[in-house]
Amino acid sequence: MTEIKNAHLTTLKGAYDTELMEATLRIRRWDPDTQRARFDTFTVTVPVTASVLDALDAIKDTHDGTLAYRKSCRMAVCGSCGMRIDGGAALACKTPMKKFVDAGHTITVSPMGNLPVIKDLVVDMAPFWEKIRAVKPYLDTKDEEVPDTEWRVAPEHGDMIHKESLCILCGCCVSECNSMESDPDFLGPAALAKAYRFVGDTRDTDTRERLRDLNGAHGIWDCTRCYFCNQRCPKGVDPRDAIAKLGAESFKEGFVRDEGARHAKVFVDSTFKGGYLRETELVPKTIGPVNAVKDIPFALQLARAGKVPNPLSPHKAKDNDEVKRLWKLLEKEAKGAERPRAQHPDAVREG
Amino acid sequence: MHDHVSRFRDACYVLAVVRTPAYPAVYVRGTAARRLFPEVSVIRHDVIVLGAGLAGMRAAIEAKRRGVDVAVISKLHPTRSHSGAAEGGINAALGNATEDSSDSHAFDTIKGSDYLGDQDAIEVFAREAPNDIYELEHMGAVFTRAADGKLAQRPFGAAGAPRTVYSADITGHVLIHVLYEQLIKHDVKVYEEFFATQVVVDEGRCAGVIAWDTKSGGLHAIEANHVILATGGVGRMYYGTTNAFACTGDGMSLAWRAGVPLKDMEFLQFHPTTLKSNGVLITEGCRGEGGYLRNKDGDRFMVGDAPNAMELASRDVVSRAEWKEIADGRGVDGCVMLDLTHLGWKKIKSRLPGSRELAIDYAGVDPIETPIPVRPGAHYMMGGVDCDLWGETMVPGLWAAGEVACVSIHGANRLGGNSLMETIVFGRRAGQAAAERVLEQGDTGARIEPGVLADEDRRIAGILNNDQGERPGALREELAKTMYDKAGVFRTEEALAECQATVHDLRERAQTLRLDDHGSVFNTDLTNALELLSLLECADCLVTSALARKESRGAHSRLDHTERDDETWLKHTLNWCDDGEVRLDYRPVTITKHQPLARSY
Repeated sequence: MTEIKNAHLTTLKGAYDTELMEATLRIRRWDPDTQRARFDTFTVTVPVTASVLDALDAIKDTHDGTLAYRKSCRMAVCGSCGMRIDGGAALACKTPMKKFVDAGHTITVSPMGNLPVIKDLVVDMAPFWEKIRAVKPYLDTKDEEVPDTEWRVAPEHGDMIHKESLCILCGCCVSECNSMESDPDFLGPAALAKAYRFVGDTRDTDTRERLRDLNGAHGIWDCTRCYFCNQRCPKGVDPRDAIAKLGAESFKEGFVRDEGARHAKVFVDSTFKGGYLRETELVPKTIGPVNAVKDIPFALQLARAGKVPNPLSPHKAKDNDEVKRLWKLLEKEAKGAERPRAQHPDAVREG
Repeated sequence: MHDHVSRFRDACYVLAVVRTPAYPAVYVRGTAARRLFPEVSVIRHDVIVLGAGLAGMRAAIEAKRRGVDVAVISKLHPTRSHSGAAEGGINAALGNATEDSSDSHAFDTIKGSDYLGDQDAIEVFAREAPNDIYELEHMGAVFTRAADGKLAQRPFGAAGAPRTVYSADITGHVLIHVLYEQLIKHDVKVYEEFFATQVVVDEGRCAGVIAWDTKSGGLHAIEANHVILATGGVGRMYYGTTNAFACTGDGMSLAWRAGVPLKDMEFLQFHPTTLKSNGVLITEGCRGEGGYLRNKDGDRFMVGDAPNAMELASRDVVSRAEWKEIADGRGVDGCVMLDLTHLGWKKIKSRLPGSRELAIDYAGVDPIETPIPVRPGAHYMMGGVDCDLWGETMVPGLWAAGEVACVSIHGANRLGGNSLMETIVFGRRAGQAAAERVLEQGDTGARIEPGVLADEDRRIAGILNNDQGERPGALREELAKTMYDKAGVFRTEEALAECQATVHDLRERAQTLRLDDHGSVFNTDLTNALELLSLLECADCLVTSALARKESRGAHSRLDHTERDDETWLKHTLNWCDDGEVRLDYRPVTITKHQPLARSY
């Protein structure tokens, strides 16, 4: 055999060298056969760079093969490993273990909320996908003639849906959604962010119909603006901001009848007029005078608890004119701006 | 309603027991036989697509558009597929940035393949790519735009022009979501979280698949005259890999056991820029945007191996250069440095935000301020299921597209940005061809016989119930380290022979795997075991092919045979399954316009 030059090159020495640490995790188990929950605590040896997902893998490979969880990409793009870590939804693969180990803290891992549990950390995502389907999640250019090359989209118009198109459909936002907890039929942050991804797409021509549907029951106005979705989203999608954008687009299209829309409008009108929010006007203008009368007992209850501000205070800010000027400036800008549209390449060529 | 279903299932159960009398009535302790018992073949479709990444979804959409009954079976929800992790972009000669042509795209691909790619296939690929890109755009893909509103194109390794269409550095993510949207629009039936365990061949024709329902347990026979394999790659056989946990070569192993050869399996691409901690990929787009590779002395070492292309040489060239730096002691903690600091925060934040996030999360460095430590990691299987230009294999009705397939576009080395394009071009072609065949031919009469189902059921039950031997995780780690150490970027006869011996030993030991979970609901212990078996078969094919190929070509670099040998080795390797053993065979490469030349960058 001939002498091989550089035979040392076959194997990288020290390829697996890494510092190790002991990680402890408390995991909520759910047994689908007995329909019982329990907590198990495991301590495993993992590299210092390990994520929570790596620690779960170590448990499954060396301690307990029955542990069930979803995983795939381990790089925060597939959206499989959403779970609650110390009570808040996160991607296990994007959560480093070291900070907990350093703090001497045992994390508690449990399945995501607002979705039925199948086994251990695995939830049934079917209701989640149903809601995605419900917002007509695909581009509709209706009867526009399809060009033979690409639609022309200005870079800044493409950027309008940049954040929403980052969504990996992991469900972390839905897990923590307060509104969905009280109304399981609420479309929820993930589906609504997906909806804005098309409303804000300059190629889509179904905007009005989309907004009409989103203004229906369980739609955009059922969001309580708790901002938990923004807080828990691992990809910076900011679903609540998308919902706000859908609200603004709805106003532009004249969808102002929903209680939620009226509520938002009272806020704006009231601050325009006096610079302050007149809370006494808020209820009748939102739900109508008849319903407001019906709610008087509730209002009294609130008043007794000290939750109602003095209705007789002046409600007029000192520099109200300035507020008005600002408001008018914004209004002018909004009115001048037409909805940007993608251009057909033929139209660009002609002129 | 529920009662009817269970009564129907009971009836099926009784019927099947009558048809296969040797069948054990209850074989899983403590669980109802009804849940685990296979459905008698009540599910039928015209076309089944196995896998729901880009190739699979594109194929399904095309078949559905042509009016046939198509269903997708995937072990993951479609958007969880690993195509979504592709970062840099997708190649088509649109000529948006500078002058470009399909011929130029084809030539770069042929040269990149080290002349092992089939040139007829590459011509089809380069010619059809632009229209497929426009179609993705019409479907709603959110691509990055140039100032004139057209699709922006960036330079990529070994390409003659800026040809890579992209969406920042999350191109795969954007595409997987746009195809999933189209899947919903076309109302394609998806069997989510179904794990296919066997492709059934009936009298030489494809008859369908047998699949395990992960969510509720139970084997199902799902019949179809046409099955399109689109299950992706096999990177998990290596320790350092960019691939997802799901990339375990299931489709390759299914085809191999069904009698279809695997082609060119020795050609596995190592990506030059992956993180040491968990193998996560940092896109080639980083170098496309102007990033440098430096050794511990801060030198741009690519000047030695590719003085012209430097960091944008072909991936095999860059990986070898890095590997040498590290092995010769010029690395930093087993890595070289990918330096983006001179690009400035603005460019990094707008063009490479995903890579920055990955570097912060998994390497603990912000590339705006600090270079990223990277090393080569197993990335892409150039080889795969042998098939023709429409994706059809030697078994009529069994097709393949995407990474699982070997058409062969990539030959001995794939160019960055060509794999996403391959999934779309050849996914569409397979969907189209399978649908046309259904419409022409009607039912071929191929069926999954109850005996076949019973045998498979016995095999799966055997794995499920076993609690002796070693855990799947332990064997998987041993395999992955052996492959990374002995069948990596540089190979020798001696190391490959050792590797082969270990793989054979592991295959033996994997006959009895210890499972802790014997239940039927979401049993990932079982799927881990099944994935390990796929990995081992693919590893055996890889190492056997690599041992035989006594030359260096593209990603296959032998220290004991350092030159390319066109005289003897300008041919495809075929791995046949011979009663579970690998048997090698060869086939000539198709050359149309370009005779092999020396390859330098």
